[in-house]
Amino acid sequence: MNVQSARTDTGMKKGQKREGKKQNMETFQIYSLLLPVLILIFIFCYIPLYGIIIAFQDYTPGSAFIGESVKWVGLKHFETFVTGEFFGRLIQNTLTLSGLNLLFGFTVPIFFALLLDQVRANKLKKLIQTSSYMPYFISTVVVAGMAISFIDTNGIVTNFLTLFGLSAKNYRVEPGAFPVVYTITNVWKNFGFGSILYFSTISSIDPGLYESAKLDGANRFRQALHITLPAIQNIVAINLIMAIGGILNTNSELILLLYTQATYEVADVIGTYTYRLGILGGQYSLTTAAGLFMSVIGFTLTFIANRVSNKLTGYGLW
Amino acid sequence: MNANRANHIREGNKAVTALIYILAVLIGLVTLYPMYYVLILSLSEPTAAATMQVYTVPKGFSLDSYILLFKDSNMWRAYLNTLMYEVPTTLLMLLTCVLAAFPLTYKRLPGRKLVTMFLLVPMYFSGGMIPSFLLITKLGLYNSPWSQILPVCFSIWNIILVKSFFSSISETLREAAKIDGANVYQTLIKIYLPMAKPILAVISVYTIVGVWNSWFNALVYLPQEKWQPLQLYLRRILVESKQNITAVLDPAAAQEMVKRQLSNAQLKYAMIIFTTLPILTVYPFFQRYFVKGMMLGSLKE
Repeated sequence: MNVQSARTDTGMKKGQKREGKKQNMETFQIYSLLLPVLILIFIFCYIPLYGIIIAFQDYTPGSAFIGESVKWVGLKHFETFVTGEFFGRLIQNTLTLSGLNLLFGFTVPIFFALLLDQVRANKLKKLIQTSSYMPYFISTVVVAGMAISFIDTNGIVTNFLTLFGLSAKNYRVEPGAFPVVYTITNVWKNFGFGSILYFSTISSIDPGLYESAKLDGANRFRQALHITLPAIQNIVAINLIMAIGGILNTNSELILLLYTQATYEVADVIGTYTYRLGILGGQYSLTTAAGLFMSVIGFTLTFIANRVSNKLTGYGLW
Repeated sequence: MNANRANHIREGNKAVTALIYILAVLIGLVTLYPMYYVLILSLSEPTAAATMQVYTVPKGFSLDSYILLFKDSNMWRAYLNTLMYEVPTTLLMLLTCVLAAFPLTYKRLPGRKLVTMFLLVPMYFSGGMIPSFLLITKLGLYNSPWSQILPVCFSIWNIILVKSFFSSISETLREAAKIDGANVYQTLIKIYLPMAKPILAVISVYTIVGVWNSWFNALVYLPQEKWQPLQLYLRRILVESKQNITAVLDPAAAQEMVKRQLSNAQLKYAMIIFTTLPILTVYPFFQRYFVKGMMLGSLKE
């Protein structure tokens, strides 16, 4: 290889002009590969980004984003959204549902990985680990469909609950049950997959560390606390930043499938609100303003969480 | 590594060990049982399935619901639609990933920084549901099957995965090819592409599963049933409980009708099994790739 690179060096000196032309040709070829994708990204990512501008207009379907006919209204739609009847409910539901998800969706994978790490029977361990990923591959529609069927009046979960004296009814239309159903379904679907990184990090810990800890008299709990946890703390930190940054992004696809008119009050979040009022109701400007409002808060939260994590643990997303 | 770990025993209370095993097995059951439960419901006698009093093994045995399902032309149409979206989306995804990732490995490419910025911005900011919807409408993709392919046939995240894979290929190999007179295209096709198989497998798996399970874009962009994918068909039956399947069938005797109605109630379980089966049978093989992709992604961080 050394010989080859030396040869190119002398080649460059001899015919710089020809080399330059060749370089241009290469650049041209490289960009010809890149261009189709750049165009796709421009169309499907940048144009919608630019389309956010309708949040500041009274946009009517079919008209242009810019031009004579545009009616600029400043922050009118933001005011309408923030002072509107849905605002309080959206914020409250979003915070409740993501708070629950942060509490369980974030912690369950960690506990699961720590727990399974204690299982010494390797076959059983592998089996449980592999089956824990399964729900992640099942579609949201199917997962929601199963949940709806299980909590129906004669569903298996309802039957189970009646053993504890709860009444047999369709829990899908019970506002009080919605956050629970949502959280369990969400955690069930994602916890196994969420634990993959923890598993692989834990399995790369030097066994010698545990040996010496044992010699020092550390019991199982202390070993987990002083060896395993510190080893995964960076991933925990990054996942926590993402979870906090995403606290305004609930799983609205799942909510859209699970909720009914009877539970709108506790289930409606920004995604479902935008779908109902925007896509179905045609209030494009208002719902775009609402979406922008929530995104700005969400981004600010990610930013702050990242700053804090950088300060405390030295790790962050950027 | 695992064999190593099994040797080192972390002593502890026997009761705690037992508790850990019980808990672990319980979690395993919780993840597997719902799907198994749906399976035995779908295979039971329709009357037993309707009351949902089946817990361990099928009560009786009946394939009525599956027969009913197979007779439903709407289901086949939706199945076909999903396949119709799977193939081009996956192929285009591989193509766009390679096309965009390969140029980024040229460190001295003029304007490389700008291109990288161009790719990074959409990862953090997106226009959201309404502007995207308006764009699709303006492009004339509303109510067109292309709405299920074009907006999702590229992924910046995947491009970055492939790029980091390509970057691990030694640059001297490329230089050598250049000296031998290979142009950029030849270098890509003859050197990089053959080596990229593992990462392309990962991307394909992600895309196939993603397309198979996606439904929201179809809900927003495809108002007509004839283009809707399998997941939307499922949604109509599982979530909205619109079981108008009998309407398609010939009217039969009253007794037959009752039986049919019971099968209808059971239909959703058969449907869950039948539509999830392709994913579930291949997932043990797939999950390896998913794990791999996850690891690659984390390396980026």
